Amino acid sequence: MRPITSQMRPITSDKSPTSRRAGGRHARLTLGGIAAVAAVTGLAACSSGGSSTTAASSSAPAASSSATSASVSASASASASSSVTVEAGGSCSSSNAVKITFWAWVPGLGRAVNEFNSTHPGICVTQEDVGAGDPEYVAITDALKAGSGAPDVAEVEYDELPSFEVTKSVDNLVPYGANNYKSDFVPWAWSEVSQGSDVYAIPGDAGPMAFYYNSALLAKYHITPPTTWAQFATDAATLHSDDPSAYLTNFAAVDLQWIMSLMAQDNAWPFTYTGGSSVTINWTGPAQLAFAAYWQKMLSAHELNSTTDVSATSFADMDKSIDASWLSSAWGPSYFLPDAKSSLGDWRATALPQWTAGADVAANWGGSSYPVFAQSKHPAQAAEFAEWLNATTTSWNITKTAPSLLFPTYVPLLNDPSYKDLGNALSGTSDPNVAFTAAASHISSDEWPPFMTEALNEASTVFAGVQNGKETLQAAFTNFQNVLVSYAKAQGFTVNT
Amino acid sequence: MADTLTRAARSHPAARGRLGASWVQRRDRRGVWFVVPFLLGFLLFMLVPLGYAVYTSLYTYRIIGGTSFTGAANYTQTLQSGEFWSGVIRVIIFAAIQIPVMLAIAFFFATVFDLGVAKFGTTFRTIFFIPFAVPAVVAAVMWSFLLEPQFGPFTRLAGALGFSGTNFFSPSLLLPIIIVIVIWEWTGYNMMILYTALKSVPRDVVEAAILDDTPLWKIIVRIKLPMVRSAIVMLIFLNTIGALQLFTEPQILASFYQGAVSLNYTPSVYIFNTAIAGDQTNLAAAMAVILALVIVAISAVSLVFRLRRGEIR
Repeated sequence: MRPITSQMRPITSDKSPTSRRAGGRHARLTLGGIAAVAAVTGLAACSSGGSSTTAASSSAPAASSSATSASVSASASASASSSVTVEAGGSCSSSNAVKITFWAWVPGLGRAVNEFNSTHPGICVTQEDVGAGDPEYVAITDALKAGSGAPDVAEVEYDELPSFEVTKSVDNLVPYGANNYKSDFVPWAWSEVSQGSDVYAIPGDAGPMAFYYNSALLAKYHITPPTTWAQFATDAATLHSDDPSAYLTNFAAVDLQWIMSLMAQDNAWPFTYTGGSSVTINWTGPAQLAFAAYWQKMLSAHELNSTTDVSATSFADMDKSIDASWLSSAWGPSYFLPDAKSSLGDWRATALPQWTAGADVAANWGGSSYPVFAQSKHPAQAAEFAEWLNATTTSWNITKTAPSLLFPTYVPLLNDPSYKDLGNALSGTSDPNVAFTAAASHISSDEWPPFMTEALNEASTVFAGVQNGKETLQAAFTNFQNVLVSYAKAQGFTVNT
Repeated sequence: MADTLTRAARSHPAARGRLGASWVQRRDRRGVWFVVPFLLGFLLFMLVPLGYAVYTSLYTYRIIGGTSFTGAANYTQTLQSGEFWSGVIRVIIFAAIQIPVMLAIAFFFATVFDLGVAKFGTTFRTIFFIPFAVPAVVAAVMWSFLLEPQFGPFTRLAGALGFSGTNFFSPSLLLPIIIVIVIWEWTGYNMMILYTALKSVPRDVVEAAILDDTPLWKIIVRIKLPMVRSAIVMLIFLNTIGALQLFTEPQILASFYQGAVSLNYTPSVYIFNTAIAGDQTNLAAAMAVILALVIVAISAVSLVFRLRRGEIR
């Protein structure tokens, strides 16, 4: 394989610096795909250098002829990753500063790292980008098995954190003062990172969901944003019969995390897990199958578009008035923005439709936390960095801006009126953040099982039949139940159903 | 793969008898040193990993409970795994279509170049060979962009020809496009081997046929084709072994379109997914060993077949 310089980027990141970011979801969907390619080819060197203005310039990694060979930049410490780009740090003034290695893929996060280094002379944090989502988890898992090479701190999506907790690979941060920051975060986010009295990471960004819609298009069909799911189903039928080429929205059958977010809002969460060796898997209970039946009815009637979400295709459909809405996360609009042309200014956000009229139940889709790994030789300093990065206004004032554009779980910023007023060209003069920040406080915590990598991987196959209309959602749920139960049993778990 | 065959040939009783015990004595022992670099690589990157895979496959790591000796359990699970064997069946279907089509195209162009009827033959031969020089990953990425459902030029071409809404990544078109990609990658290579074989057809045979007023097509089909038969048989087996290990193209396509490529699409893709996402490296090792045994079986059949026909001695 020929060497590829770090100036090259995967095509998706060319669209905008925001397209590779922490919402995490996206990372897995489209860029995760590209990153997977990168991991195979050694192209991971082409990471988006969003922090290039302030970061130490990343040296072009050596060509790697196989996916497993390490090509580590000059200043990067030894790591078991495939390819590494140093995003920030790497050159600290004091030679006796404690060295902390930090893995994350959010573009522009290096700006915060450099700010931390300049205000904390005793600690020198080096940020490396080893790939968004899965490639990073694989690299961490490999390093943990090898016994060395794991980072001190890393960006880990909420759904992946339990996988590292169960193997005791992350430190309890309570001895390092984590509980001092508990009140700074929305309660559900704190639950995502803690088990009982132990805290295993500091929460970072999140993705509260809203009904994100093209107001001009809905007005054309005389539809007001549905407040209940019953109304939503009626509107989907009405709109599609008025214009057979258009849909109220898109149902992304192979996007497991999106489906699970909607299930959480329906009180149909399919897992119970509070640490340890016992897990409940329930995709076939009455609530879960009722959820599946609700969506299948519309899918069978072809009232919903069936493309993958957070993709060029779905964004084109939204912009061309084929999809009138998107059940989107707070980070969704920043992904859509670069692809939008004709629909600019028409997009509004309002609360998700409710299962019970008048209720106010929200859901979260995506987001990351920042654990300290047990391999770290300097857990106190690592924890100090994780706390500073996520629980200070100084840091959030950097990471809320482009190209990072992180949506906070940090209460002081959520309550900041100026954050609610933060608009963009998609919504004209209206403020979509009003709906997203309102949703952020009405979310219940999700209990993720400690094998989400496998679940996500299996889902792309199990749910593919729903996407191409060859299988019902109920059948896919049943199938998925069997796959996960046998996997969990093979992994030694006591499985309740 | 070629070495596999040669090595296997050497260990055949008949072959061993002929090579005999005097082999080492007859030849200059200094020659051994030329073989050492290869043997070292073969040992480090082939035999040691192979041994490690077999060793690993006898254990099982569990998230709860850690690693323990489980004997043949991973093999039993693989042999009973419908997902594994459906992948094997898929690559066999793939091979049954891709190999004959590719060899037909390769033979056609090899003949054209052999006859010397095409102008700039050497140039075109090189051009046809170029796809082989492109790494499979690069080729798969390039084709993925060409076939991309939204903006891909081929998708738009299909639309212009009246097939609007064509999705090359849909379940019914996925295997055909992988076949096309692999044909594109490998035809040049196969053509070169057939071209070389055709060049070795004795000129006097062809001249005699021309003097007898044999039509050109008959010279090709009745004289040249039978004489390069052994090359074709060799290519069929080499390509079959390659097809069974199909990995790069489906793996790259998978990242371009969610849900298009199932995680057990081919045995190699399934092994990768089991080891990486599933964190079941032990089970994956057992699958790899079984896949290797299937390939060894095919190689053995090929060897017996060719020995019987006297194509190799």
